[in-house]
Amino acid sequence: MAKPTGFLEFKREAAGERPFKERIHDWEPIHLHLPEERLNQQAARCMDCGIPFCHKGTILNGMTSGCPINNLIPEWNDLVYRGLWREAYERLSRTNNFPEFTGLVCPAPCEAACTLGIHDPAVTIKQIEFAIIERAFDEGWVTPNTPSQRTGKTVAVIGSGPAGLAAADELNKAGHHVTVFERADRIGGLLMYGIPNMKLDKKLVQRRIDLLAEAGIQFVTNTEVGRDVTAAELQEQFDAIVLCTGATQPNDLPVPGRELNGIHFAMEFLHGNTKMVLDGAYETLPVFAGGKDVVVIGGGDTGTDCVATSLRHGCDSLVQFEIMEMPPMVRAANNPWPQWPRIYKMDYGQEEATAVFGEDPREYGIMTKRFIGDEQGNLQALETVNVRWLPAENGGRPKLEEIPGTTQTWAAQLVLLALGFRGPEQTLAQQFGVETGPRTNIEAEYGRYTTNVPGVFAAGDARRGQSLVVWAINEGRGVGTAVDAYLMAE
Amino acid sequence: MYPWIARVRHSTPGVGLISPPPHHDIYSIEDLAQLIFDLKNANPQARINVKLVSEVGVGTIAAGVAKGHADVILISGHDGGTGASPQTSIKHAGLPWELGVAETHQTLLLNGLRNRVVVETDGQLKTGRDVVIAALLGAEEFGFATAPLVSLGCIMMRVCHLDTCPVGVATQNPELRKNFTGDPQHVVNFMQFIAQDMRELMAELGFRTIDEMVGRTDRLEVSEAINHWKLQGIDLTPVLYRPNQDENVGHLLANGRKHPQDHGLEETLDQLMLLNYCQPALADGTPVRGEFLIGNEHRTVGTTLGSAITRRHGMFGLAEDTIRLKFNGSAGQSFGAFIPQGLTLELAGDANDYVGKGLSGGKLEIYPPEEATFAAEQNIIIGNVALYGATGGTAFIRGVAGERFGVRNSGATAVVEGVGDHGCEYMTGGRVVVLGRTGRNFAAGMSGGVAYVLDWDGRFHERCNREMVDLEPVSSAADIDELEAMIFAHAQATHSDLAWKILCMWDNVVRHFVKVMPRDYKLMLQAFNQVRHDSDLTGDALAMEAFKVSQQQLVKM
Repeated sequence: MAKPTGFLEFKREAAGERPFKERIHDWEPIHLHLPEERLNQQAARCMDCGIPFCHKGTILNGMTSGCPINNLIPEWNDLVYRGLWREAYERLSRTNNFPEFTGLVCPAPCEAACTLGIHDPAVTIKQIEFAIIERAFDEGWVTPNTPSQRTGKTVAVIGSGPAGLAAADELNKAGHHVTVFERADRIGGLLMYGIPNMKLDKKLVQRRIDLLAEAGIQFVTNTEVGRDVTAAELQEQFDAIVLCTGATQPNDLPVPGRELNGIHFAMEFLHGNTKMVLDGAYETLPVFAGGKDVVVIGGGDTGTDCVATSLRHGCDSLVQFEIMEMPPMVRAANNPWPQWPRIYKMDYGQEEATAVFGEDPREYGIMTKRFIGDEQGNLQALETVNVRWLPAENGGRPKLEEIPGTTQTWAAQLVLLALGFRGPEQTLAQQFGVETGPRTNIEAEYGRYTTNVPGVFAAGDARRGQSLVVWAINEGRGVGTAVDAYLMAE
Repeated sequence: MYPWIARVRHSTPGVGLISPPPHHDIYSIEDLAQLIFDLKNANPQARINVKLVSEVGVGTIAAGVAKGHADVILISGHDGGTGASPQTSIKHAGLPWELGVAETHQTLLLNGLRNRVVVETDGQLKTGRDVVIAALLGAEEFGFATAPLVSLGCIMMRVCHLDTCPVGVATQNPELRKNFTGDPQHVVNFMQFIAQDMRELMAELGFRTIDEMVGRTDRLEVSEAINHWKLQGIDLTPVLYRPNQDENVGHLLANGRKHPQDHGLEETLDQLMLLNYCQPALADGTPVRGEFLIGNEHRTVGTTLGSAITRRHGMFGLAEDTIRLKFNGSAGQSFGAFIPQGLTLELAGDANDYVGKGLSGGKLEIYPPEEATFAAEQNIIIGNVALYGATGGTAFIRGVAGERFGVRNSGATAVVEGVGDHGCEYMTGGRVVVLGRTGRNFAAGMSGGVAYVLDWDGRFHERCNREMVDLEPVSSAADIDELEAMIFAHAQATHSDLAWKILCMWDNVVRHFVKVMPRDYKLMLQAFNQVRHDSDLTGDALAMEAFKVSQQQLVKM
């Protein structure tokens, strides 16, 4: 620790974002960046704790606390403070294959677990991480991880999201021939088409994919395994197969009127939008929010992305429903540090909506009862009821109760369903004959990643269920090690 | 160091202390026995507790310590350590307390020493089970620190020494102390859990008291459920060995120690003569004068008397020279240890080690007998480690002192005519005047106070450790006056030929003196002067302001 008193001298300072009114007219990234000397000060706030919590990813009370890929946070904070950027990059890249992604889109459970966060705002770990990797790219320190020797073994990775890419990177580094299959027209999975461009610049994603390709990884796009190429063919051609297909089955809202026109899953909306942005082809946009009253159902990150995207389309009005009650402003007694704080937060989408419409678009404790359409089958409105949560009597899940007399109608021509994801699509699992669990996730033990079929592994959201990018990287790295051990043991 | 801490520790605000303190007064088991004797004299009611690191051979050391008359032996395990400990110590020092306690208990039993001492253990005791196992292995007292601290909000930052504890546990910074969320009740609650846990285990084992459990290793068995490759080849039977199969080992302890330590306090000169003789002074401060013969079997002379003065008259003792006792002969170890203000001991003869150890305001005047024919300033008159850890008072030594003179002195004033190696090491306050040659490594780790050395051959700088101090000429009028006054007092007290000669040729000699000035201390003195000059603050406010100024200057450097 270079500066023991740093946290007493400097206040937390984030670089901030572009002005709301300016940025909602384009798809460019919203983030700004701190100059070096102020980043040094932010790094100096790190206390280099005797018992650090930031770099120990664990699940506390069902939520992630600390870094799942065990980033050596106190070490690179110190190196950044001392201006040793190259060393900081080397420490960072030991644990994280893609710091530029987590540095932008990770919810930063490390900062939630930061010891400084007990009494003061936490260290700006995420911002420092991003600064290190961008500096490394600027200086040309990031080079393809081309192995010096090839093993001659071949691996197919199905799915090119963060788990698949991390697995491919690790296995390629180990000297295996890796082929990544992707059904979309671009590599990246959720990184490419799930997260909007303003939050994660696709140029950064492509930059990393180009590096991976240069290092020797084969990328095959527009190819859906199970349809364009069968499981059996793959098993014949490759020594091992890794399933990183993600949890892409969205939760539905089976209430009356669901079949009306104008009700879409969030991913359909977001995917189409990003493709439009990248291709520059407006006519291909499948769902357009402009001039409409938009209701986003679901208060998570995907819902936020829908809010921000709808704003940029120029929607007339915007509401976001959240079935849970509004969280407290500060940590509740049963939610102490270092747990993930369940508190009221404004994400970028809500901030932009507030700037445009004058108020937070979120409605809490609200449930949709039915959709109302016109004669042509087009959505006109939603009917909702307010709800409250009763604590369960014997430690089970809290019970939902409708509050009588709170029925409301909301005008809407577009509803976006962002209710989370059930699990992976089942076709691939069936073709490979791998077992799935009660939540439809592929059965493979964490740490081993082996399915019931020899040579077939599973990792990421396909195995774990919907989660964070950083857990996907963790699992991708883990499955890489497991597959390498499997291949080399033969 | 913050001003209020400095006051408690008799040190200078704003000046750091070297931690952990090296025990330069203990280099052998005999030294330790002497220290125990000194402490026992200073406070006969106190139990003297000796802490040992759990390690191979700790039983042998414990046997020595028991023979050195410790009342309690603490076996400290490897898992513990304060948050200020270096990582290397935390990771690599010591062994589990289980091994140390077993070895200590067995060795003490085999040597017939177990019933003289209490065995205590600590080092990450966290559950009632830990305590019960410790008792069964042979301990009867138990120390807790980390777990109760954690119950108070400690998050083990390991910055206890940096004043940056973010939860306000180990810091003096008022801003950070606001973050403290602990409550004494949390510790009470934790200890109640420990007690309850112990009760349940003891009920299962069929014991009613701790004493019944001590050393009952027959009630412990090695867990066979642990299947780990590192366990192969581990044989724990020596840990569970019981030298005395008598089930009543515990009861033997419970029914009172049959042979509590015999400290021999009744035979000290203080108990035999001095306390009675000085009764008038103790009662109402009536001056007492006396002259006694002394021999080297008389150790720790004046200490019990000093403790009686402090007990009766408080920290500041009696008026100067209320009691003045003269001794003729060769004094034993620790002559005048810990004596407070109001007590003056004069010695015509010589003395062994530890003269004026922990001197706390009293006065010592030591010189050769009148009939001596040798040159006092060329001969050793007192042994090693004089004035070790002194906090106040004065000592005039006509002659040369041994090694480690004035180590950890934090407030005493001393004049001596030569010292051995390592003089004034780790000194943090006070004044030392050396009117002759010093040994090597003078002023090592010295962070406060001032030493004046008469540098006849101009080569003192070679013998001085200048890592933390600067050498300056004695040039300011204040310094010159102070030095002259001290030498004059020395001359008067001891009739030193050397001192008189120096005073006669004062203007010529003074330029040969070197002032040894610790850098941090100098900074702090300058800050004091600056604040005193710029404001009318006094007392604690002055100290605090000066502290702030000096800290800012340190940051700039």
